[in-house]
Amino acid sequence: MSDQTMPVQVLPAEARTRRGNADGVLTGIYWITFAVVAAMVLIPVVALVYGSFRTSAPGLPGEWTLRNYIGLASGGVLASMLTTMLIGLLTSVISIALGTAIALILHRTDFRHGGIVMPLIGLTFYFPSFILAMAWIIVGAPGGIYNTVIDDVLGMPWLRADIYTVAGIVFVMVLHQVPFVYLTIRGPIIGMDPIFEEAASAAGAKPRTVLVRITLPLLSYSLISSFILTFVLTIEQFAIPALLGIPGQVTVLATQLYLLVRFSPADYGLAAAIGIALSLVTGAAIWAQRRVTRAGRLTTVTGKAGRLKLVPLGRWRWAANLLCFGFVFLGLVMPMMILLYTSVLKWFTVNPLEGMYTLRNYVFIWESGSTVRSFTNTLVVSGVGAAVGVVLGLLCCYFTLRLRPRGHRSLDFLASLPFGVPGVVLGLGLLWAYAYLPLPLYGTLALMVIAFVTRFLPYATETIGGQMVQIDKSLEEAAWVNGATRIGGIRRILLPLVSPSLQGAYFLLFMAFFREISSAILIYSVNTAVISISIWSFFEQANWGLASALAVVATLIIFIAMTVIIRLVPATRRR
Amino acid sequence: MSISVDNLTKRFGGLTVVHGISFTVAKGEFISLLGPSGCGKTTTLRCIAGLDDADGGEIRIADRVVSAPDKGIGVPAHERQIGMVFQSYAIWPHMTVAANVGFPLAIRKVAAREVEKQVDDALEIVGMRHLRERQPSQLSGGQQQRVALARAIVGRPRVLLFDEPLSNLDAKLREGTRAEIRQLQRELDVAAVYVTHDQEEALSMSDRVIVMDSGRITQTGTPKELYRRPANRFVADFVGRASFIDVARVNGSGWTTPGGVVLRIDDAGAPAAARYQAMLRPESVAMVRGTASAAAGDTANTLHGRVVESQYLGAHTEYLVDVSGARVKVHSREDFDLGTEVTLRFPAEVCRLVALSDAPA
Repeated sequence: MSDQTMPVQVLPAEARTRRGNADGVLTGIYWITFAVVAAMVLIPVVALVYGSFRTSAPGLPGEWTLRNYIGLASGGVLASMLTTMLIGLLTSVISIALGTAIALILHRTDFRHGGIVMPLIGLTFYFPSFILAMAWIIVGAPGGIYNTVIDDVLGMPWLRADIYTVAGIVFVMVLHQVPFVYLTIRGPIIGMDPIFEEAASAAGAKPRTVLVRITLPLLSYSLISSFILTFVLTIEQFAIPALLGIPGQVTVLATQLYLLVRFSPADYGLAAAIGIALSLVTGAAIWAQRRVTRAGRLTTVTGKAGRLKLVPLGRWRWAANLLCFGFVFLGLVMPMMILLYTSVLKWFTVNPLEGMYTLRNYVFIWESGSTVRSFTNTLVVSGVGAAVGVVLGLLCCYFTLRLRPRGHRSLDFLASLPFGVPGVVLGLGLLWAYAYLPLPLYGTLALMVIAFVTRFLPYATETIGGQMVQIDKSLEEAAWVNGATRIGGIRRILLPLVSPSLQGAYFLLFMAFFREISSAILIYSVNTAVISISIWSFFEQANWGLASALAVVATLIIFIAMTVIIRLVPATRRR
Repeated sequence: MSISVDNLTKRFGGLTVVHGISFTVAKGEFISLLGPSGCGKTTTLRCIAGLDDADGGEIRIADRVVSAPDKGIGVPAHERQIGMVFQSYAIWPHMTVAANVGFPLAIRKVAAREVEKQVDDALEIVGMRHLRERQPSQLSGGQQQRVALARAIVGRPRVLLFDEPLSNLDAKLREGTRAEIRQLQRELDVAAVYVTHDQEEALSMSDRVIVMDSGRITQTGTPKELYRRPANRFVADFVGRASFIDVARVNGSGWTTPGGVVLRIDDAGAPAAARYQAMLRPESVAMVRGTASAAAGDTANTLHGRVVESQYLGAHTEYLVDVSGARVKVHSREDFDLGTEVTLRFPAEVCRLVALSDAPA
């Protein structure tokens, strides 16, 4: 006994001091994280709120006023608010229907081509919205391919269509949003315990009855959650309504804000008020979505993913094929072909036989300093920015989910706040904040990184947090009991276990940054233009060829990066 | 015959999990499929239900062929008119108790008033009528189990299928529910197939038990046949507690242990095998202190040994007795110290010869 007593007395004292130092370090890191996140999120928000109560742009002499909020009730703003809601609801309803149908076809029936369709829908998800919109303008504009064929080849002018309309915007938005719905619904469908459906069919229900009475009701929380998120993404979407709506004078809130800032007569105050109104709508929707998700978690449907018998498509096989392949064709294959075609033409023509073909657009990309710079800018911003975002996301998750020190709820709130702020609104806040703050950030790539990381920080915390909550705290506690410090426990136990989600989050952020345009459109300068901005500018200058060539190259980079990363990092494979 | 399974084969990918098994269940008969996990019993049940597609053989329910892959017949589950109780009950969380139970009727377009009445009847039978408007999340495991039972019987199915329905209940509840299920099935007078890995459940409930191992039927019989005259070591081991002594045939008719003791054994109808063992149930062996020899004319077997382990179980103590190399389990209400020299006595009829299959078990 006596020879055991001594080490027993010594050990705790030693451990206590080590624990104490480690806690000190962690506390320091916590407050740094808190300060950084608070600064990133609050500075643009405060600038925006401040601006919305001023008579002039921030930095200029002006007075406090409520005029801007009164302006929200003007006819123009109300009209665009209605248009925004209309487009948002239509798009969400159609996208939910199509996305859920595709997910059910791929994962609940004996559909034969899942191996082809699934990865193609994944690619469609990463296909940038402004590139998709450009391709559909080339097709569907009044002088575009579709109408030319209708008029000149078929001679059936009653079939003419115009993409610069609400219907056109909804059409392209749906093409852009369906993959998102599919990806959010497939998890619940795959993870659903098949026993509920089996019990129904044992009770005598036909496959269609099982679908209507059991499968869809059990998915209802996921469907509502996906619907709300789609609605949010749609009403904050900037590129599609800007490219399609501005020429056709269809104005939504996001584009109205942009027009008020970018073109005279500028009205910064009204733009800020619109931004705040839009953020309130998206913020409320996100809050509702969180509530739904939490309620849905109580009636836990997800269990062991079992081997469910697949529903035979039978005589509906043609319809399933049409839906899946039709979607992939309209959302990805055809737009890519159109862009490829446009990019090798000297002058745009609908008839490929009359075209004068050239590679000069690609040569220009290679030789022009500005496009090469926008490529390097994009790679730097995406590569470095995603790393910053992952580190920040990891720290936020550790403090809000694990350590939970004083103020962790505020940190959680701050980190998820950008979810409710549309990109173009965030861009406006950043524009004002950093144009007038005495910080040497305006016109630097660092500001781009700040903008993107702030906007997509919730993506990182959701991805990493989702995995971290599943790791039992006792695994770390076991490490402490066995002599590891808190930091040792993090390094040797927690980090290795969450590393798949870190890789996943990096991938997600990299892709999001690479495609991002809405938060960059108001803050870029000549030296900090990223690819998306360059493509945008060329297209605005009606240089379809160059814009298409650049879009083709950017899309190829995205697809190649995605393929490589999915090959290298198993964690990014969703399944 | 209410259910007949003929040469049923099921594969998952390259793995054959059911190797051409055959059995029949008569109307009103209650049979159990008993075996360790992975023996193919649940797969067999799912093939009968139509939740899995068989790869070969034929299944009939009430003389209708519902599965015959060779002839291209595969009646979907919803047309087989079965009642099924699942291991995790599968109570639909978005419907009330009444809606859950009424589902099989509602989808068959039974009139609403009639549905109400039959739901009430079914809930009455399982003693759950007062909870008909509850949500499933407000029910205990035992109550959910009863709802599942009511839902299985409400549509007057031709057969009842049970997939380990009691394994998620606690021990006390389980015993009571066994009797209720059996009584219910008798009243309905339908064929029932009951999958379980719990031998006590199988023995206490069934008319006949089918013991399965590695996708094959090892033995079929009444609970008593199974317990008293198991066909081989696997069944003997799986059904009840048993100890085994290697024996070899001598002089054409007798059997001896490796220690040279001659045993009188019940070997009637034992299958041919390369090696044999004598099986003893612990409760049928009597144990006394000391090394008393058998009296002349005593037909019981006698073995001498020493107590090497004991486990006190309340009603009795289970002793492990070392008898020249073999270890015999004995249940006794007396107390013996470890190391005590004892004599074991057992009549020939409780010492059953079992085949020790060298073939893959």
